[in-house]
Amino acid sequence: MNDIVIATHGLSKSYSGKPALRSLDLATPRGSICGFLGRNGAGKTTTLKLLLGMLRPSAGEIRLFGERVNSEASSVAARSRLAFVSEDKELYPFMTVGQTIRFTRAFFPTWRRDLEEKYLDLFRLPREKAVPKLSKGMRTQLMLLLAMARGAELLLMDEPTSGLDPAMTEEILQALADLAVSDGTTVFFASHQLAEVEQICDRVCLIDEGQTVIDGVLDDLKSQYRRILLVFDGEPPRELAGFPGIDHVRRRGRTASLLAHVDVDAVVDRARGLGPRSVEVLPVTLRELFLDHVRGE
Amino acid sequence: MLWYKAWLETRWRFVFVIGSMMLVWLTPLWLPGAAPPERLWLGLQLGWVLLYIFAAVFLAGAGINTQTMYAATPGFHGSMLFTLSLPVSRRRLLFVRAGLGAIETCVFVAIMAGFALFQGPGATSALQALLYGTRAIVCTLPVYALSVLLACVLDEMWQFMGAGLCWSAVFLLQSRSVVVSRISPLRGMSLVSYPVTAPMPWAPIVASVVFAGVFLYASVLVLQRREY
Amino acid sequence: MDLRINFSSGVPIYLQLMEQIKHAVDTGAIREGEQLPTIRKIAEDLAMNPNTAARAYRELEREGVIEVRHGSGAYVAEPKTSSGKAAAIRRAGEVLRHAIGKGAALGLSESELRRVFENELSRLSDDATAAGRRT
Repeated sequence: MNDIVIATHGLSKSYSGKPALRSLDLATPRGSICGFLGRNGAGKTTTLKLLLGMLRPSAGEIRLFGERVNSEASSVAARSRLAFVSEDKELYPFMTVGQTIRFTRAFFPTWRRDLEEKYLDLFRLPREKAVPKLSKGMRTQLMLLLAMARGAELLLMDEPTSGLDPAMTEEILQALADLAVSDGTTVFFASHQLAEVEQICDRVCLIDEGQTVIDGVLDDLKSQYRRILLVFDGEPPRELAGFPGIDHVRRRGRTASLLAHVDVDAVVDRARGLGPRSVEVLPVTLRELFLDHVRGE
Repeated sequence: MLWYKAWLETRWRFVFVIGSMMLVWLTPLWLPGAAPPERLWLGLQLGWVLLYIFAAVFLAGAGINTQTMYAATPGFHGSMLFTLSLPVSRRRLLFVRAGLGAIETCVFVAIMAGFALFQGPGATSALQALLYGTRAIVCTLPVYALSVLLACVLDEMWQFMGAGLCWSAVFLLQSRSVVVSRISPLRGMSLVSYPVTAPMPWAPIVASVVFAGVFLYASVLVLQRREY
Repeated sequence: MDLRINFSSGVPIYLQLMEQIKHAVDTGAIREGEQLPTIRKIAEDLAMNPNTAARAYRELEREGVIEVRHGSGAYVAEPKTSSGKAAAIRRAGEVLRHAIGKGAALGLSESELRRVFENELSRLSDDATAAGRRT
């Protein structure tokens, strides 16, 4: 049994010369719920598709459940242990809820009928309803049901709560929490909804322009990252840009804002040495982390 | 369950195709006289061949690559992603989907071929009927297989057009080129080119099998390499 | 126990949860020997990550605020005076550190800050005496 469920090393993908992913490194441990963040076009959907074998990498290695995935056979083997919920939650329009369940069930010998019943009840999904008549939220719930009843060890999702109202979003997040608690399922989902990521994820992975920028435990990131606000009498000195151990500097008028996560005390002392009028050390939110790392200056 | 899914996907198409067959079968009812005269019979025969082709192209279409068709239907756009996330190899997906469509096409051609013989002028023995039916099915296979291949790369509308262009070209060429006329599956499936009394036209039959095989093999290769 | 977590804050969620539970113990919302909600219940009620909730419980256990009995759950621990005091002192230190930081940001010097602190401290004992007089 391997501890790291998703591992990529140097994963790269180019589309006719244009790189979508450049040497992406990821490691997601078993039992975690990891939020996969990045701007549109940063490579999130590409990464998910690579993990699922819908795309072939240009370079690099993918390991799921500790096994190398580099052929159709190994991809099929991995897919028997995972589930995927696409962004548009596409299912077959010529099937009903019941037919979709029966169809999916056939591929997974360890299907849990009890979970199927439980979630049909909980989500109030009628077996006879045709898939095109389901709302996006209900399709999401159906796909979650299919994922959970098959006993997936890994759940991959692309924008799970996009287009859903707040009540439905909360139901989905509760289902994910339930999944993590009951079965130790690992969840990895791409999302733009920072609020939901902060609520349900214990890990985040942020990518920008095809590369990993952050991959760690969210609470640890909040503990380590600090924003240091300095107000000077005049323009903030140029030396700030050259400070070691700083992730980011922003200047606005007389204020300089530094983002640091390693040896913050040393950075603060050094900053004090420049003679600012005021020094404030503040915690950093996920939104700030995201914006600072992807906008740059 | 893949067969079940393929059936759910194609059943209305199959019904439509059988329904159109019924219309053709009912033709004598709205024509004056008991048996159609020679000229009409020729025209009907051409229609039969067109129907074989239509059925093959139509039944090969759904499912393998449907992305843009039915885009207006909510929840449908790109259900290929769902299929591909299942633990099934692409080869098996193609095999089942193409397999069911092939069976449906064969059933259709067989029944149509049967009608053709019992409606045509002159008497036909059971053996002649059987031989013609077999020949019609085999010659329809490359039409089906080409559409399967096209459906792996193109969306529905383009697949129809591609197939239409290809077989129109064959139709034109078969009257100009000796080689094409010798091996053309369209001639092989027609009772005008090869009446029941003629010996079995082995050239188009063998050519059909070869082309069907090539197209299907190419489909597997294309589908395995394709990126979604 | 009414738990409210601000997921968008820069403060780690496990710390917020720990803070809230300690506060509940302090205010008597949950008392010694009483059972805390299971991690499962917290995760489901708040739709939050169970690993994070588990981390909070682990830290609380380490600090001696709660004790985990195998098979039955987490319970509020009897306060051992020394560890209770140590924890209280640590917490007061955290609060004061924050206050000092704010004061420094306002531009006060160390001696000015000390004066403010003494001032506030004396007000505390004045309030206590006044309260005592009222009752």
